[in-house]
Amino acid sequence: MEAYKAKSIDEVIRLLSQFEGKGKVIAGGTDLIIDIRNKKVKPEALIDISSIDELKTIEDLGSFIRIGAAATFTDLVESSLLDENLYGLKKAAREVGSPQIRNRGTIGGNIANGSPAADSVPPLLCLDSTLILRSIKGEREISLRDYYEKGFKIGEDEIISAIQFKKPEGRQILSFAKLGLRKALAISRLSIATLLEIGGDNRIKTIRIASGSLGRHPLREYKVEEFLIGKDFNEEVINEAVLVLKEAMEERLKGRATLPYKQRAVERVFKDAIYGGLERLKVVEA
Amino acid sequence: MKKISLNVNGKDHILEVEEDMRLIDLLREKLGLTGVKEGCSEGECGACTVIMDGEVVNSCLVMAFQAEGSSILTIEGLGDEENIHPIQQAFIDVGAVQCGYCTPGMILAAKALLDKNPNPTEEEIREAISGNLCRCTGYNKIVQAIDRAKEVLR
Repeated sequence: MEAYKAKSIDEVIRLLSQFEGKGKVIAGGTDLIIDIRNKKVKPEALIDISSIDELKTIEDLGSFIRIGAAATFTDLVESSLLDENLYGLKKAAREVGSPQIRNRGTIGGNIANGSPAADSVPPLLCLDSTLILRSIKGEREISLRDYYEKGFKIGEDEIISAIQFKKPEGRQILSFAKLGLRKALAISRLSIATLLEIGGDNRIKTIRIASGSLGRHPLREYKVEEFLIGKDFNEEVINEAVLVLKEAMEERLKGRATLPYKQRAVERVFKDAIYGGLERLKVVEA
Repeated sequence: MKKISLNVNGKDHILEVEEDMRLIDLLREKLGLTGVKEGCSEGECGACTVIMDGEVVNSCLVMAFQAEGSSILTIEGLGDEENIHPIQQAFIDVGAVQCGYCTPGMILAAKALLDKNPNPTEEEIREAISGNLCRCTGYNKIVQAIDRAKEVLR
């Protein structure tokens, strides 16, 4: 195995092209190093991107935010751009692993490794995020939803260079809640992110819901979104939405031993996300 | 083999490392810094914690070549019998060390916390050591030790 500590995106994509699919990008290494040691992955070359500044910046582009793929969870937690209405993404980052893992693990790695429990992904799905991919052929964008739901692939010669999304508008609030078996280092048993906006008439004006660990990959809960949109926001409606969510889970996870447990647990996690978001909105607007 | 340069405990080194070598192996085997402990080898236990450019990392989850150009602090660089660091002294005074295997990682996690936040709350202390497992003491004495160290260091 060869090893390269790349200094720029250009160097990374040149190496990826040179190794024709046998080169593997390493950032935080918190998953990959374990896979290499267990011989699950046998790259011919490791290309380290963990110290490329242009891949680590979190940028305010006016109506968009762009997060470099090698930004660590600690970078996200410390970014002032992710306060206020985007706090759900920061909350998800804060609950990843442990301080040691957050200092190394990156948002791009969370996506590229395809874990069903990747904590940062449900909030990014609620934001309708776009992945920006680079290769020697140039730059292209794919939606994060297509990546998960339509199985769009990142090419062997491509690198995720950034994740980009539109800032929430008006009174939209992004929220996140998770159930782990212990406080630190818990792999999510279940996580929910929501982007909610309640209009002046108390009707649900915006609702996007994404879940982690409720399927083979993080996903949007469209049936629940369709149920909620336009409805009057009250406890009864939220309780009915929980039933819709449980039904959707039933279809997806039928036969899994964890289904009864997850169906009981999901109610609390979903409500924590919804009501926790509204609590946060009060703070933001105060 | 790959040649890398890095600073460990204040001393510059230029070393030949294997491409698949981890930082923990470099520290223990090339430099003899056996205060860096290997526990789980997958980032769960924190026994291999070192401070890399001011931040705690699991040295079992960093490749040696990735550490090129960085500054590493291990427990050996923090203090020794002649020059004991206040955090180490507090661990001894409070009785926060039993088998000792988690201790280097715990102390470095405490150091990284106190460098950034000289007056942490108990909750912040517990959060800072949440990536370090101890199977002996039950954490309370460790938390007390860090709380005592913060008073001495302030």
